Amino acid sequence: MAIPITVPRLGWNMEQGVFVGWLKADGDTIRVGDSLFTLEGEKAAEDVECLDAGALHIPANAPQPGETVLVGALLGYLLQPGESPPKADSPPMPVAAAAEPAVVKAIASPAIETTPRERPASSPRARRVAEELNVDWKQAKGSGHSGRIREKDVRALAEAGTSFGNATRRLIAERMVASQKATAPVTLVTTVDATELVQFRDRCKANGSAVPSYTDLLVKLCAAALERHPALNARWENDRVVPSAGIRIGIAVDTDGGLLVPVIRDAAKISLAELTVQSRDLIERARAGKLSGKELRGGTFTVSSLGGFGIDAFTPIINLPECAVLGMGRIRRVPVVVDDQIAIRDQVTLSLTFDHRIVDGAPAARFLQTLTKLVEAPTPTLDSLAPSPSGRGLG
Amino acid sequence: MSRSSLDHESLLQLYRSMLRIRLCEEQLAKSHQRGLVHGACHTYVGQEAIAVGVCAHLDKNDAVFSTHRGHGHALAKGVTPEELIAELYGRATGCSRGRGGSMHLFSPEVGMMGTSGIVGPCILQAAGAGYSSKLLKNGAVGVAFFGDGAVNNGAFHEGLNLASIWKLPALFVCENNQFATEVPFSYSAGNPTVASRAASYGMPGAELDGNDVLAIRAAAGEAIARARSGGGPTLLECKTYRTRPHAEGMGDFTYRTREDVEAWKPRCPIKRLREHLLAEKVASEKELAGIEEQMQSEILAAHAAAEKSAPPKASEAATHVYSEPRQVPAVPANAATRETTYMQATLDAIAYEMEKNPAIFVLGEGIGKRGGNFRTTFGLYDRFGPDRLCDTPIAERGFVGLGGGAAMTGARPVIDFMFADFVLDSVGEIINQIAKIQYMSDGRIKMPILLRGCIGIGHSAATHHSGNYYPMYAHFPGLRVVVPSNAYDAKGLLHHALRVDDPVLFLEHRELLSTKSMVPEGDYEIPFGQAAIVREGTDVTVVALALMVHHAQKACDILAKEGVSVELIDPRTVAPLDVDTILKSVAKTGRLLIVDEAFGPYGIGAEIAAQASDRGFDDLDAPIRRLNGVHTPTPYSPSLEAAVVPNLESITQAIRDLVAE
Ligand SMILES: Cc1ncc(C[n+]2csc(CCOP(=O)(O)OP(=O)(O)O)c2C)c(N)n1
Ligand SMILES: [Mg+2]
Repeated sequence: MAIPITVPRLGWNMEQGVFVGWLKADGDTIRVGDSLFTLEGEKAAEDVECLDAGALHIPANAPQPGETVLVGALLGYLLQPGESPPKADSPPMPVAAAAEPAVVKAIASPAIETTPRERPASSPRARRVAEELNVDWKQAKGSGHSGRIREKDVRALAEAGTSFGNATRRLIAERMVASQKATAPVTLVTTVDATELVQFRDRCKANGSAVPSYTDLLVKLCAAALERHPALNARWENDRVVPSAGIRIGIAVDTDGGLLVPVIRDAAKISLAELTVQSRDLIERARAGKLSGKELRGGTFTVSSLGGFGIDAFTPIINLPECAVLGMGRIRRVPVVVDDQIAIRDQVTLSLTFDHRIVDGAPAARFLQTLTKLVEAPTPTLDSLAPSPSGRGLG
Repeated sequence: MSRSSLDHESLLQLYRSMLRIRLCEEQLAKSHQRGLVHGACHTYVGQEAIAVGVCAHLDKNDAVFSTHRGHGHALAKGVTPEELIAELYGRATGCSRGRGGSMHLFSPEVGMMGTSGIVGPCILQAAGAGYSSKLLKNGAVGVAFFGDGAVNNGAFHEGLNLASIWKLPALFVCENNQFATEVPFSYSAGNPTVASRAASYGMPGAELDGNDVLAIRAAAGEAIARARSGGGPTLLECKTYRTRPHAEGMGDFTYRTREDVEAWKPRCPIKRLREHLLAEKVASEKELAGIEEQMQSEILAAHAAAEKSAPPKASEAATHVYSEPRQVPAVPANAATRETTYMQATLDAIAYEMEKNPAIFVLGEGIGKRGGNFRTTFGLYDRFGPDRLCDTPIAERGFVGLGGGAAMTGARPVIDFMFADFVLDSVGEIINQIAKIQYMSDGRIKMPILLRGCIGIGHSAATHHSGNYYPMYAHFPGLRVVVPSNAYDAKGLLHHALRVDDPVLFLEHRELLSTKSMVPEGDYEIPFGQAAIVREGTDVTVVALALMVHHAQKACDILAKEGVSVELIDPRTVAPLDVDTILKSVAKTGRLLIVDEAFGPYGIGAEIAAQASDRGFDDLDAPIRRLNGVHTPTPYSPSLEAAVVPNLESITQAIRDLVAE
């Protein structure tokens, strides 16, 4: 049988080499031990010894000197007396080991079996992102192995918070019911003299600067009142009262998609002017459906006004997990008794719903008292802040 | 050619054997050119007389160890050409089941105990086989074949000296083919003859014509008879020449000339025997031609069968790293116990096992009459005698490698190092030989060897008597690594170690040797890979090893008063490591601290932490913490020494910090 001459492997890692050239000619009689051709491997060119005997046959399509050849490639044949070259010039290639799946796997031993968890598993990263986005990660639907809540689940939840339509409606519905179920709501109602508040606002108009809405003014005053009554700024978590670190006041905004409550951060610290700009922006974007989930989360108190609709008093629903919500009615000019005289004054009715789990009636009433005084004499509070730190620039 | 009084058949047998090797090698060379041999291929062409002349005196109970150029030894010892060829083709029918290739040939069934890709160890292993023979009195001889390259290696020096002082039945056959790869022997040896070195070790040595099979056969016969009759080892230097390149595919004429090689070809040992057989009229031309034809067809058939056989299954790529686990009886519930020191507990265990198992012997410095630097063998010499309590010269690599060979051939060596630091001279033997042989032989050779020594920092032992090292050993497959923290565990684990067939590193913290615990008087086994829950708790899991277990226990007491409930786990063995017990605890506590005197980087704590974050991810309530010895050599001065190890305060604080995370 014709013996194929193939490219041998020289050294450890050779996969291909350069065929330098034949040391014998086509038809030459080759003896065992003759040097047959020169091959350049990784390290050097070697004269390759022939380990069989026969007449050298170099096929027409054999590699030419200087060509790069793969290990195992056919170079020619050794023919035995009387033999003619094989038809198909394809060498019997060495059998490669049958491909089988490798045994290499990641070290994936089974997770340790433990008793079922009370809360869904979540990754530390998901919880951190939830904090950043002000999302309650427990509400997310876990998509990880074993239902673990992952970062992307939290982000998806945050995204969902800004979309309109059914999703928003459903969310509102869930939150309202959750609030009603979870809280022990009590509403206190009082009517307050708002004459100075109206005058203050008129002065703003005369100044030509951005005119705060009554809601803005109330937010600012509530923030001041909350500073003195932190109990109303707390929240109910894991069966106990947890104080909130800052004062962040949500403003209830009626939009086409339903009620949204964007949050003014640091309501006590920023100036009224700044608050005005912020709230206007938030309301505009709420109506345009352009709020991020983050802007809707993290409130510690809410102000809701239905005055624009001619409503005087109502029982607002607590925005979980907050402690309380203030409802503001319309401002009316009415005759009132002042110093035993009938006078025309501006009056507003405030409805405070608070969670009786967190505070009792008396402290809530005291908060409302403070707020009443601030509404009646608002100027020091509303003027108190110089331009906000962010307005100071970098100097 | 030397004359001989051999009968016709014996002479023809030599001819057949040499021819079988030659033709097999020629087939392998061709197959290498054609890509059937996947890796290296070191042929034995030109040296056939040596393997054949020596192995003519051996039977399957005699143990042969060889080196990278071992095809000829395997065939001469009785491995069939088909098994050899199939091995180089990477097939399941290969003598090593496709695990080794050219340099790792194992066939314990015929006493081919292994070739090695490392130059040197075979010398020590053959001496070890000699030790087994001496101990078990089975008449076997250990034979090492090695090149001239090995004689300048420490293994040669240590192995020959050990074999000589213990008069082991061993034969050391140096095949001096004048080159180690391309480095001439004349360059690398200060003394131009190998045989003369025998005198340095007090053993007979002979320089032989390595291409004269009758001379080799005669000299080997004499040496082996001497070995079998208790006369001790012999060194044979067989001067020869390999007429093929160092390995197939390698260039041959950068360090020698084509003429040099051609000049040696007429001295071919097979040709010489053939001419001798004709000249002496032992056989006719026709008879020899018949043998040649028969051998040629045997090899062709072997090649064809090998080529047809299946590759090993990928699913079996990691079997036989360890021997089958032992079924361990439970510790007797109401066994009488006694307060015992750690040291005494291990002494009781080893004494008990030595009484029961005559294959156990101990090697070490001062472990004989003296009873061990740490009283590890106290009183045993008087009971079991010098062959089983054998003092060694200071030759750690030598007696570890020798121990490996003894373990492969039926004995159960206990190597007592005193300090684990001294073992580092023999790490190559442990990791490249002892750890790998069960796997490389596809589980057909067992490796029941116990390597014990002290570890640990304390009492100003300084850097060469303080090392821990267990993380390093735990990294390698094939080793069991035991780090007992108390007398009870030490005894049970030592009983187990002396009954399993795996190599065990038994590392005893020096500061613990005189600690006491209640220990059952009788024997009992603690299996490897079962952590002890030293103390149950709910707030934080602390994993500690060896001495650190004791510090951690005290920390638990302090913290209990502060209202912190610690669960303390002692893995007891770091290979295998009982991760499940640790993770179950973490599932409960959510917090994990690993306290380990050994270095942190790449250590046991790193491993535990990685597994915990993988498998116990959702259970973690805080980052995983480690408290380790400082990553520095161990200093001497007490103030410096104390600064590099975890102590009660640092452990207590680390736990407090973790609880507050
Ligand atoms: C400890 C060690 N160092 C280096 C090598 C690389 N190596 C493989 S074979 C060899 C030469 C061995 O020469 P020798 O012992 O004379 O055997 P020969 O190849 O001549 O048969 C070397 C250096 C090795 N295998 N082991
Ligand atoms: Mg050599």
